[in-house]
Amino acid sequence: MSPRTRPIPIITDDALTITGGAFSYGSTPALTEVNITVKPGEAMALIGPNGSGKSTLLKGVLGLIPLLEGSMGFGKSAESIGYLPQTEHIDPEFPVTLKQVVMMGRYRKMGLFSFPTSTDRAAVRKAIANVGLTNVANKRFGSLSGGQQQRGFLARALASEPGLLLLDEPFNGLDQPNRDALMQTLRQLKAAGVAIIVTTHDLELAREVCDTVLFVNGRQIAFGPKDDVLTLANLQEVFHEFQVEIDEHTVVVPGHEGH
Amino acid sequence: MNLLDSLTTAFALPFMGRALLVLIVLSVAAGVIGVFINLRGLEFLSDGLTHAVFPGLAAGFVFGGQGGVLIGALVAAAAATIVLTLMSNNRVTSDATTAIVLTAMFSIGVIIVSASPGRAGGLEQLLFGHLLTVTDSEAITTAVVAGVALVLVLLTFRRQVFRAFDPEGSAAAGYRRVSTELVLNVAIALVIVAASNAVGNLLVLAVLIVPGALSRLVTTKLGGLFAVAVGAAVFASWMGLALGFNISVVGGVDVPAGATVALSFVTLYAIALIVRVLRKGVNA
Repeated sequence: MSPRTRPIPIITDDALTITGGAFSYGSTPALTEVNITVKPGEAMALIGPNGSGKSTLLKGVLGLIPLLEGSMGFGKSAESIGYLPQTEHIDPEFPVTLKQVVMMGRYRKMGLFSFPTSTDRAAVRKAIANVGLTNVANKRFGSLSGGQQQRGFLARALASEPGLLLLDEPFNGLDQPNRDALMQTLRQLKAAGVAIIVTTHDLELAREVCDTVLFVNGRQIAFGPKDDVLTLANLQEVFHEFQVEIDEHTVVVPGHEGH
Repeated sequence: MNLLDSLTTAFALPFMGRALLVLIVLSVAAGVIGVFINLRGLEFLSDGLTHAVFPGLAAGFVFGGQGGVLIGALVAAAAATIVLTLMSNNRVTSDATTAIVLTAMFSIGVIIVSASPGRAGGLEQLLFGHLLTVTDSEAITTAVVAGVALVLVLLTFRRQVFRAFDPEGSAAAGYRRVSTELVLNVAIALVIVAASNAVGNLLVLAVLIVPGALSRLVTTKLGGLFAVAVGAAVFASWMGLALGFNISVVGGVDVPAGATVALSFVTLYAIALIVRVLRKGVNA
């Protein structure tokens, strides 16, 4: 990452710490009052309705939009940040193979004049194997299915060997086998000490792979360990038509299980 | 001298050798940069830049003669590149504004040259180049300017590919979007400046656009695109130059070689298009 996009580089033991953070696209803040800590090996679920500031937070962490107020600190482990955007608008005819796309995740590690080393190539192979796409590694990226392309972008994020991984709605449009495979990948990454932030409206996912939950709706509603925060009261404050969300995803209402 | 001689022994003549050398240098730079123009869909912006450079060429020519052309073109190119890059980043640009700006600039250039006494024939030279009468020093400056353009793109090669494929992803990876775009636009402008002297401002676009577009018809491999674009540009230059030589020197008809070179580029593109259609059908 370019140092200029990081307004306040505070080095901490945590992967990411935001204190009193406010982020904005223009002059009016899109998300305020953010106070979070994400530790290495921990996953945080970022939950809120559409337009509540989930993508805003991810873009703020990436330095793509400015931090208006507060401070943001990154741990040494979070020097490299991987990012899986929600939707990628790519030209399906673009002449790159899956392998070349995943190699883009290594670009920042390469010197100006150097070519990909065996380490780079091994990291790319491993990332592609990790998402189960080895058999299509040399296919043109645009010829892959939507689900395969999304896994390809995940492989690109993995190839950068991130200490902090940001995933924007990674489970959207995935079928059950792909969903399970992604869950498995996230567990492995956590075990390897990677800090993860994943936006989702899938509460089941939040319970299964995340350690902490951040609720947002233009501002921070609640943050903490999932069992403390994933309560009906919080859900009702964030989603006003909460019943609809439950129906869509056939999710057990958190809090009814007496956590 | 028959056509075969025009393709071979004619290049032993100093002015022909010099013209070919200039075109080879341009072909390498324009081939590589042309692929990025195609991948990014910057054809119309390139057209705009070409026309915006024209008043600079004209003013340089009027005030400084042949030696002033380069300086005038560079000044105009710098201004136009910055304006167009900033416009496209603030999303105020549209095809309409680009079209208005480019015609305005072009007419200003035509007026500048036409209004200056004692520069008869200057307009034609600026529009169509003077490939067969390029001097040594012009050949060197062309090579240097095109070389700088090529180096700029080679130094930012990976981020240019990343940006062309996935703007959002490359920004998230920490590549600054404006600087990436500015570098490519500057490189495009430099090739336009370099090529204007040789093939003329009006025909630059053929050298800049055709090789990249042609390569997309031939291959879907990223590395292959650059090889095909450069190879096709060199080959088309050779053919076009030989044809120009044959018509003007052997045939005695005064045709600017820049025009036969441009025609040669377009013909090669047409052949590639026909071959592709025959092999894969119209919709492939």
